[in-house]
Amino acid sequence: MIHSLFLINCSGDIFLEKHWKSVVSQSVCDYFFEAQEKAADVENVPPVISTPHHYLISIYRDKLFFVSVIQTEVPPLFVIEFLHRVADTFQDYFGECSEAAIKDNVVIVYELLEEMLDNGFPLATESNILKELIKPPTILRSVVNSITGSSNVGDTLPTGQLSNIPWRRAGVKYTNNEAYFDVIEEIDAIIDKSGSTVFAEIQGVIDACIKLSGMPDLSLSFMNPRLLDDVSFHPCIRFKRWESERVLSFIPPDGNFRLISYRVSSQNLVAIPVYVKHNISFKENSSCGRFDITIGPKQNMGKTIEGITVTVHMPKVVLNMNLTPTQGSYTFDPVTKVLTWDVGKITPQKLPSLKGLVNLQSGAPKPEENPSLNIQFKIQQLAISGLKVNRLDMYGEKYKPFKGVKYVTKAGKFQVRT
Amino acid sequence: MPYLGSEDVVKELKKALCNPHIQADRLRYRNVIQRVIRHMTQGLDMSGVFMEMVKASATVDIVQKKLVYLYMCTYAPLKPDLALLAINTLCKDCSDPNPMVRGLALRSMCSLRMPGVQEYIQQPILNGLRDKASYVRRVAVLGCAKMHNLHGDSEVDGALVNELYSLLRDQDPIVVVNCLRSLEEILKQEGGVVINKPIAHHLLNRMSKLDQWGQAEVVNFLLRYQPRSEEELFDILNLLDSFLKSSSPGVVMGATKLFLILAKKFPHVQTDVLVRVKGPLLAACSSESRELCFAALCHVRQILHSLPGHFSSHYKKFFCSYLEPHYIKLQKVEVLCELVNDENVQQVLEELRGYCTDVSADFSQAAIFAIGGIARTYTDKCVQILTELLGLRQEHITTVVVQTFRDLVWLCPQCTEAVCQALPGCEENIQDSEGKQALIWLLGVHGERIPSAPYVLEDFVDNVKSETFPAVKMELLTALLRLFLSRPAECQDMLGRLLYYCIEEEKDMAVRDRGLFYYRLLLVGIDEVKRILCSPKSDPSLGLLEDPAERPVNSWASDFNTLVPVYGRARWANISKCQGAKRHGPELPNTASFATSGSLIPEENKERIQELPDSGALMLVPNLQLTAEYFEKTWLSLKVAHQQVLSWQGAVHPDTLQMALQVVNIQTIAMSRAGARPWKAYLSAQDDTGCLFLTEVVLEPENLEMQISVKQNEAKTETLNSFISVLETVIGTIGDIKS
Repeated sequence: MIHSLFLINCSGDIFLEKHWKSVVSQSVCDYFFEAQEKAADVENVPPVISTPHHYLISIYRDKLFFVSVIQTEVPPLFVIEFLHRVADTFQDYFGECSEAAIKDNVVIVYELLEEMLDNGFPLATESNILKELIKPPTILRSVVNSITGSSNVGDTLPTGQLSNIPWRRAGVKYTNNEAYFDVIEEIDAIIDKSGSTVFAEIQGVIDACIKLSGMPDLSLSFMNPRLLDDVSFHPCIRFKRWESERVLSFIPPDGNFRLISYRVSSQNLVAIPVYVKHNISFKENSSCGRFDITIGPKQNMGKTIEGITVTVHMPKVVLNMNLTPTQGSYTFDPVTKVLTWDVGKITPQKLPSLKGLVNLQSGAPKPEENPSLNIQFKIQQLAISGLKVNRLDMYGEKYKPFKGVKYVTKAGKFQVRT
Repeated sequence: MPYLGSEDVVKELKKALCNPHIQADRLRYRNVIQRVIRHMTQGLDMSGVFMEMVKASATVDIVQKKLVYLYMCTYAPLKPDLALLAINTLCKDCSDPNPMVRGLALRSMCSLRMPGVQEYIQQPILNGLRDKASYVRRVAVLGCAKMHNLHGDSEVDGALVNELYSLLRDQDPIVVVNCLRSLEEILKQEGGVVINKPIAHHLLNRMSKLDQWGQAEVVNFLLRYQPRSEEELFDILNLLDSFLKSSSPGVVMGATKLFLILAKKFPHVQTDVLVRVKGPLLAACSSESRELCFAALCHVRQILHSLPGHFSSHYKKFFCSYLEPHYIKLQKVEVLCELVNDENVQQVLEELRGYCTDVSADFSQAAIFAIGGIARTYTDKCVQILTELLGLRQEHITTVVVQTFRDLVWLCPQCTEAVCQALPGCEENIQDSEGKQALIWLLGVHGERIPSAPYVLEDFVDNVKSETFPAVKMELLTALLRLFLSRPAECQDMLGRLLYYCIEEEKDMAVRDRGLFYYRLLLVGIDEVKRILCSPKSDPSLGLLEDPAERPVNSWASDFNTLVPVYGRARWANISKCQGAKRHGPELPNTASFATSGSLIPEENKERIQELPDSGALMLVPNLQLTAEYFEKTWLSLKVAHQQVLSWQGAVHPDTLQMALQVVNIQTIAMSRAGARPWKAYLSAQDDTGCLFLTEVVLEPENLEMQISVKQNEAKTETLNSFISVLETVIGTIGDIKS
């Protein structure tokens, strides 16, 4: 299915290759480089490229390209998903998925790829199973290893692979039994010039961290399950039970995993927590313009909005910007024309603003369109959709676990047009 | 890859590997081996230390073993004779008490890829198939496929195949999936693994135990199974139901495809499934992974071909956000273009209007073409937007707008007037070949309505020497000759100059020949020129109208969740052909039928179609101008020559109908608003002999029928019949699109 994998960095070096069937020459990547050149910006390289004998399916993650070589007809989503899983695994093992991390741990990378894929087919991809086969590097362990010479490979077979439930290993034991759930919601929105919402939607996930002994059978219920429009489930969830009672009933995997992901898209339910007042203008036949934005809280349910960052891609004719923030700090990169304003949190008494002058290239026509503002923010202890966990019950085991739920709302693709 | 300086490194490493002190120190020894691997991954030729590495494989340290095996798999094809030495160690490891080691050794042995290894691996694989550790069985099952490939795909070992089929009942789910994968490769020549009823049901029951990759592949294999009865079919669909809600988009798409294929005789089930996966598909369209978004968007487009209204209420999901990569934006624009309807057209057009001024020229041009596409249905609104865009005086925008106008005028003649008014002045902002050609074509064909047309063309003629594109010169020749026919006084002089230049000074042969051709044509006489250059247009537009019409779900169900929606069948067919020599892939139909879906016929073809005389007895005159009063008078004075009732479902879209009639040269005199009941329309047409056809169309939505009454000013049954059949075709086509 997946014939070979090449890892390519932004400057076009192939720094790692792995072949599962026959060896495919590196020259196949020339087609990829050709497409990269045509796309001008690395972000714009199309994910599927055809060559006379192969297809190249690639993903772009953390400034790296994962390019897979395909020789037979395959479901494209399957391959893309798998490549993302590979990148996720690297991230999980090395803390970051960067060229340096991969090069430093090249041996573990090969071990991982060998276990994840055999003869081109995905095998072990669950993080907790992989971690039993190949132990992740830690600073402590590498020190210990270098002293004792012990290995970072599990000597025993992962027990999880023999359990009846494929996602949970048998005989789990913890001294502290804990179950934590993080309800994380991201708001994707496009706000138009006048401040009205063009499009808004909430993408939510519930990530779980379960450290429970034995074979616990959990059921999680919500105060308002009807809020959830489209839900997709971890394979452990009993679908029929959700259909009939709107209760999530499952035997959880051990450790961290994503329990469900959902969408709330009915427009009236999506609260927009911030507003932006903006005044960006360029004068005709003059080499300067004005820039003035102010951010304030809108529907924030009384919680503090923090971690606000505003990013603006200014038009090409902008040479420099001379601004004063009332709060936080800003940078403008004259090469990429990106303005970044790190705001921090909003205090309603004094709204943060950023104003000043824009220097334009003299003689160039004024930009015909104002730039869009991309906004990042975070609200702790709030699920903006109003979703609330009602209770968590555990069956099948006798001990009393410690339970916790955390809510976070973040901006996803949150864009304000000016 | 040979690489300068690698010899020194090899020499040094060789020395280190042979050093007994290092060999004694486990840690140092392993570090040296790691260095070898590191160099290997960087593309240095490390085959020189093969012998030393083989020795290093005899160890209890499992990490070292892994590293050495990795090395051996890479270089064994280069050093087959030395690799045979390693096999002994590998065989021994295959009976190690630790299942990890057994699995590792077996996998490495199967991956050696060198001739002659088959005889050594056969026994370990057979043992592995009966191993008590599932880890080893997984490796062994895939090993069967690797062994088969080493044999050169020639003979199929029947006993092995039977063994694999029986392992489909293994308790480990991954062993089961691996069996399918392995059998598929071994039995490639015979069409792959056979899925009969017991196997299908067994797999269906095991589905929930598999991981997402397994599920995605099993649904793919299940496509081969044909349920015997309707009852069984619905049982299977019930079992599959929960996979439509899987968290993995790959599984969702695979399950959807299986649903579509299994339910191919039940269109309502297919529609139902597509409604159910709407959520997951839309979620994938806004997924964090841009590549997933892209693939999902391609599939959305495919679904839209069959169910045009399917995503209309979610049109805002397809609005582009600034930071998305281009390939996603372009797909989204295409999707938006396909899902417009009466309710959302205003918002979609406003959104697209915003994209037209995007920083990226490619994207803004795509948005303009999309507006051009929508203009086929909602002409007035779009022409207005496009006209406004011309006012921006941006080069890259103007050229695309003019190209869009050219296509539009040809498809929707009713907008000619508006386009002609918008054109003057845009010649200053066009530099590229495509844009110039489009402008010149428009000026030539509709020059009689644009007062400044000859002067604009004159500029082009004056600068023809510095013109770099031959295609522009060709277009200029044709256009000027056409304009000469309608406005001879203003054009005669420059036509002469242009012809002189083309014949005497032009170096491009095609342009020269075209010039000579027109010159000789003019010598024959002006009437002949008129007859050839301005003969009535045929109506290829009807075909184009039909083109975006619904395609049945079954026509693409088998392509769903493959690379076809992403890249088109044509490409994959080429690849399969290239591999045809060694692979026995399914023969795909030739590429000819795939030519241009949805796009316009290229310029050259258009020319040819126009020059062809219409076939058939009936020839309706284009641009018949009839006032409402004259129509009313004639209508009242004539008797009904023919009356007919056609079936019709749903509402009427006057714009669409009017446009469709226009392309076959039937003019609309008056029409009620959409939604009026009863809905009425009056149409007129005239054939080349001067016979008038007046038509009344009355639609009673309640009885689902459309009544047509035709009156004729001369009694000719033959032409009447052909007129009715034209009318029927048009109404039938429109009706099909709507229902």
